[in-house]
Amino acid sequence: MISFQQVNKHYGDFHVLKNINLEVQQGEVVVIVGPSGSGKSTLLRCINRLETISDGKLVVNGITVNEKKTNINELRKNIGMVFQHFNLYPHKTVLQNITLAPIKVLGVEKSEAEKTAMYYLEKVGIPDKAYSFPSQLSGGQQQRVAIARGLAMKPKLMLFDEPTSALDPEMIGEVLDVMKSLAEEGMTMVVVTHEMGFAREVANRIVFMDEGQIVEEGSPKEFFANPKAERAKLFLSRVLNH
Amino acid sequence: MDFIGAYTPGNLSYLLKGLLVTLEVAVISIVLSFIIGSLLGVLRYAKIPLLSKVIAVLVETIRNLPLLLILFFTFFALPEVGIKLEIVTAAIAGLTLFESAMIAEIVRGGLVSIGKGQIEAGRSSGLSYTQTMWHIILPQALKRMIPPLVSQFISLLKDTSLAVVITLPELLHNARGIYNGGNYKIVFPILLLTAIIYFLINYSLSLLARALEKRLDTDRKQGTGLRKIRQNQKQSRPIPESF
Repeated sequence: MISFQQVNKHYGDFHVLKNINLEVQQGEVVVIVGPSGSGKSTLLRCINRLETISDGKLVVNGITVNEKKTNINELRKNIGMVFQHFNLYPHKTVLQNITLAPIKVLGVEKSEAEKTAMYYLEKVGIPDKAYSFPSQLSGGQQQRVAIARGLAMKPKLMLFDEPTSALDPEMIGEVLDVMKSLAEEGMTMVVVTHEMGFAREVANRIVFMDEGQIVEEGSPKEFFANPKAERAKLFLSRVLNH
Repeated sequence: MDFIGAYTPGNLSYLLKGLLVTLEVAVISIVLSFIIGSLLGVLRYAKIPLLSKVIAVLVETIRNLPLLLILFFTFFALPEVGIKLEIVTAAIAGLTLFESAMIAEIVRGGLVSIGKGQIEAGRSSGLSYTQTMWHIILPQALKRMIPPLVSQFISLLKDTSLAVVITLPELLHNARGIYNGGNYKIVFPILLLTAIIYFLINYSLSLLARALEKRLDTDRKQGTGLRKIRQNQKQSRPIPESF
């Protein structure tokens, strides 16, 4: 479903992504971990072309992302994205936040879009907030709305860019629970996170990155019990021992 | 000070005539510069190759010139190259040129102030650039633009008085005309009345802006949504049946 082939990315002289090769199959949950500045978010953002790659090949849903003729909006409507800072539209109600893209991009009737929106709001556990504005919600609730907003497009793939990093500790659980049930339903997910518990429990595969490279890749079991790379050992000893 | 001698019907109607010219020039310039300025602001923001650069140079040049110089230019210099404008047209042209540049920057500033995350959220959901601008960025930016826009309109209205140098028969020009006859006892009352007129018009513009801002305010911290708020408003201010 996602295929990185020898992908490189430069910001000027800074080599952000180095020779990335990565395959993600349908229904897989891949969690990307690694120290700050290792290129995790950049890698994720390349998938829906919020970042462009410098060379190599990137294919998502059978579409080559970095070709001039690629219709980017066509590609993006099949990819949901959840951001660290939620990025809900503050001037729209929760319901309007969720229905905007289905109505404008998919051409769904408003009543139909609202029905779908309510279905996903039920799913993330806050149907009573449909007519609230984002500023009236807690961080955890906002992030759950953001997930519902992504799902309402019925995407084939969901991207999560540090979805719990901006949340109060108390609210992290409710967001992870939603993500977990999503994974159980078979959604293909690529998740950048620092939540090792989630990674261990939910991921099919862990990808460890450092300095723009994929240093190690494997099942959560082997990665957490027996990391091979020195850098990964050091990272795990720092994040797990406190 | 001779208030009675100052506020004769003849003088008052002469002031009123000036006021009408002020309003005419101001309103036309406001409308024109709002349209042109918004367009320039959006185009500069959109970072279209070359075009945005050209607009940037244009806007920066005009913004950094005194309005008085521009007014001199449109009235006294343009005829040299064969463009001869009527006094009113020259005033409107000068004001519009200058204010368009100012408004372009206000519009661009409002757009820039909306975080990149909003664009990314819109674009990543499959909305086109135009759709993202129209549904997500502009409505939020517009709200932030209102206060600086209104204060710009207020200074435009006041700046119409600078057109006195090209003998535009506006409010201040006519006020001066009344006491220039040599009767210095009426200087104070006439200028006082003129000041009151300027103040009333501009202050009501400010009030209007504040009301507009309130209506567009969506960053509500309390309550449970727009519908509830609207309901509450209805309850607290019942409309009489005879209305």
